[in-house]
Amino acid sequence: MARPSLFASLPLLFATLVALFLVAPMAIIVPMSFSTAISFEFPPPGFWTGYYAEYFSSPAWLDATANSFIIAFGSMVLTLLVALPAAFGFVRYRFRGKGALNMLMMLPVIVPAVVSALGYYGFLSLAYLTGTRTGVILAHSILSIPVAFLVISAALKGFDRNLERAAMSAGAGPLRTFLWITLPVLRPGILVGALFAFLHSFNEAVVAIFIAGRDASTLPKKMFESIRLESDPVIAVVSTLLTGAIFLGVLLSMLFRQSAPHRSGNAA
Amino acid sequence: MSTAASIEAAGERGPISRDGMTAWLLVAPAALSIIVLFVVPIGYVLLLSVTDPTVSLDHYRRLFTVPLYAGVMLNTFKTSLIVTLACLLFGYPLAYVTARRNDAIAAIFLLAVGLSFWTGFVVRTYSWLIILGNKGPVAAVYALAGWGRPPQLLFTSFSSTLGMTHILLPYMVLALYGVMRKIDPSYLRAAESLGARPFAAFSHVFLPLSLPGVVNGSVLVFTMCLGFYITPILLGTPKDMMISQLISQQIEDLLAWGFASAIAVVLLAATLVLLGIYNRFAGLDRLWG
Repeated sequence: MARPSLFASLPLLFATLVALFLVAPMAIIVPMSFSTAISFEFPPPGFWTGYYAEYFSSPAWLDATANSFIIAFGSMVLTLLVALPAAFGFVRYRFRGKGALNMLMMLPVIVPAVVSALGYYGFLSLAYLTGTRTGVILAHSILSIPVAFLVISAALKGFDRNLERAAMSAGAGPLRTFLWITLPVLRPGILVGALFAFLHSFNEAVVAIFIAGRDASTLPKKMFESIRLESDPVIAVVSTLLTGAIFLGVLLSMLFRQSAPHRSGNAA
Repeated sequence: MSTAASIEAAGERGPISRDGMTAWLLVAPAALSIIVLFVVPIGYVLLLSVTDPTVSLDHYRRLFTVPLYAGVMLNTFKTSLIVTLACLLFGYPLAYVTARRNDAIAAIFLLAVGLSFWTGFVVRTYSWLIILGNKGPVAAVYALAGWGRPPQLLFTSFSSTLGMTHILLPYMVLALYGVMRKIDPSYLRAAESLGARPFAAFSHVFLPLSLPGVVNGSVLVFTMCLGFYITPILLGTPKDMMISQLISQQIEDLLAWGFASAIAVVLLAATLVLLGIYNRFAGLDRLWG
């Protein structure tokens, strides 16, 4: 029995090391955020919460945070407005040019971000929209379409249309059926699609770096520039807050999925 | 499983409508906004690459004849290949263990992958700046061990490659995991009950069945790496530039928008060719499945 147990434990050991490689570098930012060092120094020479105070009192960082939330929310709404009907069109109908249109829907994730960023810079400056939140919201809402479209389409493919037929045969009209049956059943899938679109915009850096300017600067753009120019220690604070929020979100979603496996089963 | 699949297939055939008009109305808002707000801007890059500052193909000629630029493109391909292979090497065992278990260990591994997948590239690149920096933990270990100063790690092609491997690894793991999770464990039990040793069962049954995941993950990571912007710029060196660094340099230092656009067009073409080949054999839909 020695050989099977070796074969069983060796991958586990290696996988554990790889998981550590994934997480350990990100864990280092937590002690860094409480460090008194003025630049990248680890282990920290001392601990305080001064850079947290600085983050919460710095207009530049708070503006970037507000911009990130506003832009992510705005682009999420716009993305859903077009991705939701498109998912219905693709899953429930057959029509000419479907294959080509499917490619078009995927294009925003296919094109490398630098290329999109260059395009948006030129295009939005023609419309006087560089350096505005509107410009970044427009760009991000397009970039998020494929993610939201894929997630919602997957949920829609798992939808049992007998539910709709039952409602219709019980006398409900198409609109009523849609609002009372279809949407509520699809809600988990739509919410996940919305969350993905929100995070896609919130994390997006390259296009924002090119088009957001100073006035519409988002957190990733502000962090990128701070790292390049001044290595502001507040970066560690922002990184810690962001990673903490993501950690909680992923943990909660896993717990939710474990407690309600049947609900998310179709969406996945 | 086969009955479920056939019911689903029948269901798909049955209620699917051929009402082309309604379908177009549903799809049109998304399609039109992508055309106006995405295809047109990309077209503008294409236009700029042959018109700025004058109408000519000079930028492309320069790009393919000046050794420096050909070197950058070669380096980008080489680096992307290394990153893809490293992600595969590290990602396969992690995805394998996570897919074959249903316990707390698998949940913790999924949490680790999910956390790194959803954390932004800038944050994750920043942590490598601390680790590999002059005053970072690696330097501290060198000092403690009495080895003196460590070799220059930061701002080399090593740090850039390491950072990109770290950042793209969750994409590889999720692509592999998605395919591995669908492999029926009873196949492996059958192989073992027929006398195959665990490793033979793995290499003759599991490995071939997981190959679509290997292809998906590799295509995804390789194409993402080709145009990777944040990490090469923050961790890399101008001596071993990748395409994105060259674009950034042309714009920021030289304001050469036309030439930068031409480089971007070549990058886009390379990406499209690769994904086109993949689409031929596998269907693009599966890439992000």
